[in-house]
Amino acid sequence: MSSQRQASSAAQIPHLSPAELSYLYTSLSLPNSPIRPDGRSPTQFRPLSAETNILPGTNGSARIGFADGTQAIVGVKAEVEKTVLVSDTLDVQHEAQGTGNGEGGEGSSSAVTGGHGSWVQMSIEIPGFRDDDALPVFLSEMMRESLVGSVGVKDKSGEENMAGGLKGRLVINKRWHWRLYIDVLLLSQPLSYPLPLLSLTTHLALLSTKLPKLKSKGEEDPFFDDDWAVAEYIYPRVLGVSNTLQVRPPVTLLVISVGENVIFDPTREEIAVADAVLAISVTRDNEAGSLQPLKLLSIRTIDPPSRLTQPGIPNSENVNMLGAPAPNENVAVLNPATGEEEVPGVWRPRRGGVKRSVIAGMVKTVLKKGGVGEEVLAGLEGVEVS
Amino acid sequence: MPLDTSTTYPLTRLRLDGRRWNELRLLQAQISTNAASSGSSYLSMGNTSIMCSVHGPAEGRRGESSGSAGSSGAVVDVNVNIAGFAGVDRKRRGGGSDKTSSRIAVILRSTFQSHLHTYLYPHSTISIHVSVISADGSILAAAINACTLALVDAGIPMPGLLTGCTAGMSGSASTPKDPRHDELDPLLDLSLPEEQELPFLTVGTTTVLPVGENGMDGEEETSVALLNMDSKLHSTYIETMLAVGIDGCSQIRELLEGVIKGSNRA
Repeated sequence: MSSQRQASSAAQIPHLSPAELSYLYTSLSLPNSPIRPDGRSPTQFRPLSAETNILPGTNGSARIGFADGTQAIVGVKAEVEKTVLVSDTLDVQHEAQGTGNGEGGEGSSSAVTGGHGSWVQMSIEIPGFRDDDALPVFLSEMMRESLVGSVGVKDKSGEENMAGGLKGRLVINKRWHWRLYIDVLLLSQPLSYPLPLLSLTTHLALLSTKLPKLKSKGEEDPFFDDDWAVAEYIYPRVLGVSNTLQVRPPVTLLVISVGENVIFDPTREEIAVADAVLAISVTRDNEAGSLQPLKLLSIRTIDPPSRLTQPGIPNSENVNMLGAPAPNENVAVLNPATGEEEVPGVWRPRRGGVKRSVIAGMVKTVLKKGGVGEEVLAGLEGVEVS
Repeated sequence: MPLDTSTTYPLTRLRLDGRRWNELRLLQAQISTNAASSGSSYLSMGNTSIMCSVHGPAEGRRGESSGSAGSSGAVVDVNVNIAGFAGVDRKRRGGGSDKTSSRIAVILRSTFQSHLHTYLYPHSTISIHVSVISADGSILAAAINACTLALVDAGIPMPGLLTGCTAGMSGSASTPKDPRHDELDPLLDLSLPEEQELPFLTVGTTTVLPVGENGMDGEEETSVALLNMDSKLHSTYIETMLAVGIDGCSQIRELLEGVIKGSNRA
């Protein structure tokens, strides 16, 4: 059974011949005006349908369906948990000796207000994979990392919103905190690399996530208002400049480069010929004095499946063509993007490696004002979160 | 306010959620919910909601289909996933899958393996993926109904709709039934709190189209395709529960037929 499970991850590479791959690569790498198989512009996304708060039994939930039929459901559940710190155990020892029963050590307070990354737990369920397979584990860690990594912002009045980011929001008091379970459910076999779908769905679910309103104060044991109508959003609805939400969960976008071109929301076929596949995490940046509306959280390279494709054979090396006169187009030229020699029209598996200027171009397209990242965040904001 | 059926039911004759003994919960269903699969469905019975997708019949994987099972007909492969957020508390599952979901998967697999006309697809696999999005009792019954809908959507031939329903008794029912003063009522379609305190069984029935000499009578024959009980109760009550369960199954069959006929898929 496990051999089939692994095969389904390799099935993400479509069965294309070297000639088809070369054709696709050539049209996608046309300087400045790539031609995509579905006629989209390089920064255009496929249509998707989204809804939030679909599961009454969760703190927040969302469903997104992509145009190719893949769907994901995310449910967020929160639990109250006792904060265990090293200094607490020391205190217990002190109390056992009868020397003191004061509050927790002052040294621990900084760690408490900051929160801890392990309080956010993420698990991804992909049909055909065990949840300890490489792909789900890698995906969940990639998404969790950018979630807990994003920190809060200070608005102009100096009052802090979400100090310490999501981690800080989970702190109730010195002794108690929330633990957030984010469960991602992919409802169909992954047709393309599922990262953008899962990331967008998680983003929406977190936006709709509410925690019950705290009634107790200070260091008391937490006690909550049982009226769900007054529950507070975990990402508070503070409107910033241009009527957009100020604090947002991060979004991870999948970007590929083909030749010098940067292409967003790639289909499975487009990923199969990509020179480089990058997962870029961004979030809204509202710090005073920042020129860009967005902040880069992380970039990760993803092993491009084009590495595993079959190479084409140029006529000069083809045994069947030995007697034929060598056509003049059969001369190897240097690919400007990769710096490798190749014959035009003959597919070569990519060996990885991408120019620095291309990566810079990718990041710039995501981050710039009115760029793709902002467009995506604005689009997600349009989804009714109620 | 007492929160169990066995103390309040004899007084009010109403169950915790306000239903009478023979009432189903609200059943909503949709087919063709997922374009990326051969057939798919969404079904909710009360607060239990399930999404199901079917892939195939497709060429079986190497190794397994070359066995004796693969050559005579299609192999049904069922995968059940109960989401971590499905229950009231978030369930922690270690490693692969938990006991409940693998039990349900085994029951579904054996039921549909014998129910579908698998002999039409030799050397192939029909894989069914069931995701329980929210669990509030009768998961097995809801999964059967969702699978049936998805299989119909995938166009896989079967003799009749296979529908499932749960039936229980309104008390522990551990002593023999007394025909003179019988205060226990059978209950239809149990929710999670009822399932946890009362004995119940899951029954799945199917209709067999009349064929042969009696075919002209037009009388459909119902047969029990699945019966599963995990709880203890006195054997004298089984007949009552079974009768109520079978009746619930035929109610559900009508609802599912409405869903299938109402969907405007070309």
